[in-house]
Amino acid sequence: MTQLEMKGLATADKLYSQYGSRARELKAQGRKVIGYLSALGPVEILTAAGVVPLRLKGTTGEAITIGDAHMETMVCPFVRNVFDNALKGKYDYLDGLVLPHLCDSIDRTYDTWSYGLKLPYSHFLNVPHVTDDPSLNFFKSILRVFIASLEKFTGQKITDEALAQAVNAHNHNRQVMRALYDMRKSDPPLISGVEMTKVLVAAMGLPVLESTAFLESVMREVKERTPSSNERSLRMMLVGAQIDDIALAEIIEKAGAWLVMDDITIGSKVYWPDVDITPDPIHGIAERYLRKLKIPTTCAGEVDSYKDDLQERFGHLKRFVIEFGVNAVILFIYKYCDPYGFDVPSMKSFLESSGVSVFYLEDEYSTSSPARLKTRVEAFIEMVGQ
Amino acid sequence: MTEAKKPRSLATEAAARISKLVRANLSATVKAREEGKKVAYTFINNGQDEIIRAMDIVPAWGESFAGVCAAKRDAEKYLQKAEAENFSRSLCTYATCSIGFDISREELGEIPPDAPWGGMGRPDMIIGSAQQLCDPRFKWPQATQHYLRDVPIYVGSMYYPPWDPNMDQRDVEKIYVKYAAEELRALVRFCEKHTGRKMDWDRLAATVDLTDKTWNLFIDTYELRKAIPTPMDTGDAMNTMVPITFNLGTQETYDYYLTLNAELKQKIVEKKGVAEVEKYRLIWPAGLPSWFALGDFQYFNDKGAVFPVEVTYRNAERLDRLDLPKTSDPLEHVAWRWVRFWTHWYDAARKRPGSLPKVERIIEYIEDYRCDGVVFHSTYSCRSWHAGIVHQAEVLKKVYREIPILIMEGDIVDISTYNEADTHHRIDAFIETLEAAKRRNS
Repeated sequence: MTQLEMKGLATADKLYSQYGSRARELKAQGRKVIGYLSALGPVEILTAAGVVPLRLKGTTGEAITIGDAHMETMVCPFVRNVFDNALKGKYDYLDGLVLPHLCDSIDRTYDTWSYGLKLPYSHFLNVPHVTDDPSLNFFKSILRVFIASLEKFTGQKITDEALAQAVNAHNHNRQVMRALYDMRKSDPPLISGVEMTKVLVAAMGLPVLESTAFLESVMREVKERTPSSNERSLRMMLVGAQIDDIALAEIIEKAGAWLVMDDITIGSKVYWPDVDITPDPIHGIAERYLRKLKIPTTCAGEVDSYKDDLQERFGHLKRFVIEFGVNAVILFIYKYCDPYGFDVPSMKSFLESSGVSVFYLEDEYSTSSPARLKTRVEAFIEMVGQ
Repeated sequence: MTEAKKPRSLATEAAARISKLVRANLSATVKAREEGKKVAYTFINNGQDEIIRAMDIVPAWGESFAGVCAAKRDAEKYLQKAEAENFSRSLCTYATCSIGFDISREELGEIPPDAPWGGMGRPDMIIGSAQQLCDPRFKWPQATQHYLRDVPIYVGSMYYPPWDPNMDQRDVEKIYVKYAAEELRALVRFCEKHTGRKMDWDRLAATVDLTDKTWNLFIDTYELRKAIPTPMDTGDAMNTMVPITFNLGTQETYDYYLTLNAELKQKIVEKKGVAEVEKYRLIWPAGLPSWFALGDFQYFNDKGAVFPVEVTYRNAERLDRLDLPKTSDPLEHVAWRWVRFWTHWYDAARKRPGSLPKVERIIEYIEDYRCDGVVFHSTYSCRSWHAGIVHQAEVLKKVYREIPILIMEGDIVDISTYNEADTHHRIDAFIETLEAAKRRNS
């Protein structure tokens, strides 16, 4: 089996610009590749099943040309873009697809995906929204149903031992990524927002052990850097869903600010929470995805105190602000996104109460009109910088 | 030459009585405090109706109030209020209209005097729902609490097995029923905590029985619309859905459908139809209507096109068709009823390769109600009921037969996207397609 060259940021560049290329190579070498959408893709289970998990992304620079004939334009633009990519054959090496129940845009289009792509394996993982005890027990049952269907597809039993190993491998991977994030805390950060975005995208397209080795190679390279003199005072955090393109980071950093932190679903949202080691690995996995991930599609079953609920949902953002020295935040929310969209007023005021400036932007999953985005972001940076 | 515009005429007397019921529902939320009752913001088709009714909690339906604002063409002020708070126009406009109203009421310290039909009373609690139906049902409560910070929230769950042609839903449905029943029990505890009253379980059981009877009667009544000419169409059903949707678990609702049933039977005897001459029978298989443009149904009727059947708001089925397992636990019964309802067309879909449960339901209705065409309505601010419509239309043509299909576009509340002339031109073109299809098939 050919090995992936681990050349730090050069590898990040390559994997970012040729997303999915490694999965394609592994497929050619006989491995099964399962694509999944969103932070809720249960990668530990896919890894334990011996398949290559591939988080799906779209192509922001490309117009949706085929997908719109099959999927409504009020569906999440990210989902539509990925679907369009899949229909155009960009993921023609996939053996299967797992769509977790993240939101209406995924739930209501699952049939469109499974009928449109006609893959040998297709599974809708019915993740609940509520985090209470009955929901956790339900989710554990749902994960077992998923495991059984995956076993049937691969012809291989997914043992508790394999699950435990996968949990350890993914926890270690997250730990290494968090160590890389630590290198953004210095002033100036040792790794730019543009570079980090490429690393995040590259990492999510690799099997876990390769991903970890890749991250370690990036770490080695970045550690050797000496901090340059810093003429920029603005340190920004980006908050949103799957922002997997460097366009926004480039605009921010060309406008004279540093992008030093994120709360996005290919970034800290997935790399901060680990799976607890539990006697039944499914319990730890279920807890991580249902209770530890800070995503707007999960909620408490009962809320008596608004203040406590805000702390539970957004408290991590204030911690990031302090730990990473953030002084401005961009909420970059995709159009037609109810889960993120309904959070905007509360999240914005919560963040502003910590003294940071917050800029809310609603846009498409597209880089087809960068000038408009650039003007607005530059104006915000100029205003905050004054 | 322009045609004279006819006002919307309701075919049934029962439909004409609905505005009184909707006003009474809104008014109950305003008077509740004086009557010592608690008000809960809540959402339709969540399986929570019987608990709310048995606990004497007054439900306040944001979906209904937003629909009223839209129908009165008076929603814009609330949509703008929400927009000014950074709620995007692309979000569910039921929610943003309702939240805009909440903000206005909080700012004034009382219900805005110009609120359509007297507005909604301030809630004592919000009962949301997490399920496969609609994200706003758990996001809307969270967003509302930003403005009503002292109001507690409960979000229950009511899921059903997803459609998988390779899996028998019965293999996993018990997982779903157990979960839904546990969540309903948690709702009872929440209601007890916030009303200070204990649940009367006998009353709950009686309320659940009443819902069962109502579901049966509702379906029996709606099936009378199979008659040619049809005695009632979807234009009316967008009114007659109110009792089963917003007043489920009440004797008043059961009695309403008894009256409607009698009225439809009488119309059938008298051969009174919806259109002067019924030329085309259509199905409305998915999509919430534009509440500000219900007159479009009349436009169809004026062209001789009637809708004897719709899927929208027909969220019930005869219980004998659902084959519910017996249980002495009323909450478990509610869970079985909804889980079996949402999965009712799975078996039919499995029998027809390439089909979907939603498409099987449409096919069943096309056959039973002898429909000539299909009219979907796609709403830009609602993914819940509208994402997947294009695919349903595609599959319907593929697995069933070539049948004229129109997909209209608009919104439920936001009138800014609506153009009456364009809409009518599209309907005109569709009528021509129906006529051509009819000629081909004759």
